[in-house]
Amino acid sequence: MSYLDNIRNFSIIAHIDHGKSTLADRLIEKTGLVEARDMKEQYLDNMDIERERGITIKLQTTRLKYKANDGQEYILNLIDTPGHVDFNYEVSRSLAACDGAVLVVDATQGVEAQTLGNVYLALDEDLEILPVLNKMDLDSARPDDARAEIEDIIGLDASEAPEISAKTGMGIDEMLEKLVEVIPPPQGDPDGKLKALIFDSYYDSYKGVIIYTRIFDGRVKRGDTIRMMNTGKNYEVTEVGYCIPGTIPADELKAGEVGYICGSIKQIADARVGDTITLASDPATEALRGYKKAQSMVYCGIFPAEGEKYENVKDALEKLQVNDAAFNFEPENSAALGYGYRCGFLGLLHMDVIIERLSREFDLDVITTLPSVVYKVVMKSGEILEIQNPSNLPDPTLIAHIEEPIVKADIMTPNDYVGSIMTLCQNRRGKMIHMEYLTKTRVQLHYEMPLNEVIYDFFDALKSRTRGYASLDYEFLRYQPAKLVKLDILLNREQIDALSTIVPEEEAMAKGRGICEKLKDIIPRHQFEVPIQAAIGQKIIARETVRAYRKDVLAKCYGGDITRKKKLLEKQKAGKKRMRQFGQVTVPQEAFTEVLKLDDGK
Amino acid sequence: MDKKRGIYIHMPFCVQKCNYCAFLSFKADGSPRKEYTDALEKEIKLRAALENEQGSKKIDTVYIGGGTPSVMDISTVSEMIKTLRRSFDIDEDAEFTLEANPATLGRKDGVMLAKLQAYKFMGINRLSMGVQSMDNDRLHFMGRIHTAENVARDMHFIRQKGFENVNLDLIFSVPGETAEDALSDLEKILALSPEHVSCYSLQIEEGTPFGDMAERGELVEVPDEEDRDTYHRICSRLKEAGYEHYEISNFARRSENDTDGRSVYRSRHNSLYWNMDEYIGIGLGASGFVNGVRYKNTSDLDEYFAAINEGRLPVAEEHVNTAFDNISEAVFTGLRRREGVSYEEAVSAYMKAHDAEDIDPQTDNDFRDFFWEVFSEAKPEAEAYAEKGLLIIDDTGLRLTKTGIDISNSIMSLFV
Repeated sequence: MSYLDNIRNFSIIAHIDHGKSTLADRLIEKTGLVEARDMKEQYLDNMDIERERGITIKLQTTRLKYKANDGQEYILNLIDTPGHVDFNYEVSRSLAACDGAVLVVDATQGVEAQTLGNVYLALDEDLEILPVLNKMDLDSARPDDARAEIEDIIGLDASEAPEISAKTGMGIDEMLEKLVEVIPPPQGDPDGKLKALIFDSYYDSYKGVIIYTRIFDGRVKRGDTIRMMNTGKNYEVTEVGYCIPGTIPADELKAGEVGYICGSIKQIADARVGDTITLASDPATEALRGYKKAQSMVYCGIFPAEGEKYENVKDALEKLQVNDAAFNFEPENSAALGYGYRCGFLGLLHMDVIIERLSREFDLDVITTLPSVVYKVVMKSGEILEIQNPSNLPDPTLIAHIEEPIVKADIMTPNDYVGSIMTLCQNRRGKMIHMEYLTKTRVQLHYEMPLNEVIYDFFDALKSRTRGYASLDYEFLRYQPAKLVKLDILLNREQIDALSTIVPEEEAMAKGRGICEKLKDIIPRHQFEVPIQAAIGQKIIARETVRAYRKDVLAKCYGGDITRKKKLLEKQKAGKKRMRQFGQVTVPQEAFTEVLKLDDGK
Repeated sequence: MDKKRGIYIHMPFCVQKCNYCAFLSFKADGSPRKEYTDALEKEIKLRAALENEQGSKKIDTVYIGGGTPSVMDISTVSEMIKTLRRSFDIDEDAEFTLEANPATLGRKDGVMLAKLQAYKFMGINRLSMGVQSMDNDRLHFMGRIHTAENVARDMHFIRQKGFENVNLDLIFSVPGETAEDALSDLEKILALSPEHVSCYSLQIEEGTPFGDMAERGELVEVPDEEDRDTYHRICSRLKEAGYEHYEISNFARRSENDTDGRSVYRSRHNSLYWNMDEYIGIGLGASGFVNGVRYKNTSDLDEYFAAINEGRLPVAEEHVNTAFDNISEAVFTGLRRREGVSYEEAVSAYMKAHDAEDIDPQTDNDFRDFFWEVFSEAKPEAEAYAEKGLLIIDDTGLRLTKTGIDISNSIMSLFV
């Protein structure tokens, strides 16, 4: 019997909120090499933002030991995956490192859009899937319905799906038995040429980049010179070991095993997820399949707010990039906002997370501009430009046509909400491809939609129309020509470049009006009238006016309560700090992100 | 020589609460008024004991405000004032103000005369009357209990009893009120020839009946433009009628006894607040500024009684002013005065604080330079206001222009 027979490499896949992280925690507590009381700091307390949002952004990998009923001790390598559509590529690479997956379905909710998306990713990697029903401790659990949905929608046999509660620990033992039984052991040749998949990496200030890897063939140890097959770079291995979690050094890693490799690698970008590691002295002939360079789908400008130093922003962005290969940035200069950075993200959530980390971890005060997608601008000269900043759109007379990114959006919803979702999608230029009844009450809608329409507040609008029941999964499909124009905004007759957007020609008028109205609410009254105008080229298409205020005076000081008066003035001053000055006009910082949130339903 | 101090005493009881009122007050009926004045006396003694430890100072203004102090029983007020006089060294010619609301001085002529006589005996030499309007419909709408006729009658007896320093309050920009309405109110007030007039633009505050109405959309606030127009017309009219406009909302009648162009009828007590002078606050929710410390008493009546019964001061908040606090407050309170704030007084306030840098300014230029060193960040914006004609910055200090008053908060907020 080979050592391989006692290894199981698996992931947990689930829709957001279905309890993946809780299950992972429970498994570690049950079987891990970590003491239960140390667990919180070691495993859970990784990123505040993730915990608050109930999603996992950064991957975790853990080696568990489980003594099964057959008397054998098994090494279970739990390879956690990010739980959001923005990180599909990372998910797929993590899955590629596994031989099976535990599919967690919330027994109170049933199958959701991302459940299906993740299952398909797992099937693409040829994984054996073990469905489990979670949240069985809740009264609202309906295991039979969930089982039926798994069978009807996914097509997996769920009759023996373990019923568990990750929260209380119920059914976990049964699930582990099943896991060992259903998920196959890894295969591979420990004496073959080294082929190891990078499925995650992070930067450690002492050890440099730590690579999480699954060894498919061969073996690797300290002192070996490894080569990244896609980037071609060589590094000397300084340490290998297992993730328990945390890093525990070992003599070597061999085929079938999961662990980490360090090699004085300075930046994450040099150890890209999906790349294949081999030995420089005896390289494999072919890399593992599936490598892709991270591609930014959404861009926005990040500028230091009033009083914040440009250098501080730069330092913070650099530090974030060290740990996040999918995030990129380059300097940008805006007439309105000064020097800042154009930043690229995998998607909206990725963007939110980075921006939130800037303020939380680095205590930075930044202004973010409207998110934008990347447009392909085909010039009359035949040249093709990629434009992600509306201000950089060339003179319309020189443009042959513009192409915008289209995504495939899958929306799963209870059938009651189909009508309002269809209206929403239609308003967002969505084209319905197909609609199917997954069960009597659950519908999947397939749309093709411009990414531009998805990135502002589509997800929020979807949730608010369906009381949170609808779920969304989307992925990039293709570029497609569209009639688009640049919509400029003028405040007090001065164009504010950071408020320019690219919009469909036919919607320009409505969008222009909407933005002007929104700005009218956001911009405080000044001592003079502030005209707000929307323009296409030289043509003004919408106009609003912020009326002048004439009064900002307290008639009375309350019986010598100077402190109260002072607090009011301090508040006023603090409010002003969050403003940005444009010529004579003061604009609150939120204007730049809020202005396009024009949910048509409100 | 050290400056003198003022004393403020709060009386949180009214016949009924007005629809716009966000001040601390309770319905007088059924409230523990006697217990309250007893407690005040104890607080006065506690404060005085503390004062004596710290070297007591002469008191040159006393202000009994509210609420409606005139609803308090004469016997208890009289006792309290006796205690006050025994406890503090009150100047013989101190300004001694009592706030009174029309129609609370007594229904019968005899009662009113006797009550006013009693106030005189107590040493009260200035009355401040909450007239607010001379239009009965508007008075009713505001929730006032009096009529224009009450005001005229009260004034008649007040004059008869020889009170020669009377303030009348006027509120304008009540929803539905035009500038003409306000000016007509003002004419009726001027006909009573008060020594002092306070004019307040109505502020609709959250948590008041007006605030609730505004939230439900049942109240349409007077547009800013109209409000400011009314205000400026009131200012002009008062000036024309011989009043000195000495603070944003306050006007004092000119007389032959004025010195340096300052009316003798300026409220000395309120001026304390605008001059960074010290005052002792006594009573529920009262604020004080003593020995460089700003404090505020509790606003909870039970807590207030509990503290007093335990023999401790009912202070809820206390803040030792820093040098920056001092200079900042000197600026924004000083800017309320028409003469503005001088660099010298602002920097002097700064120098009084415990944490002040050791500086020794001698000349006007020294004061000015140090002032702008402290407010270097605010300077460009202050200068921008000056260029727009809203603020005057000269070699000795700053002051608001008439139009600057309209947006005074924005200007003041530069200095906090």
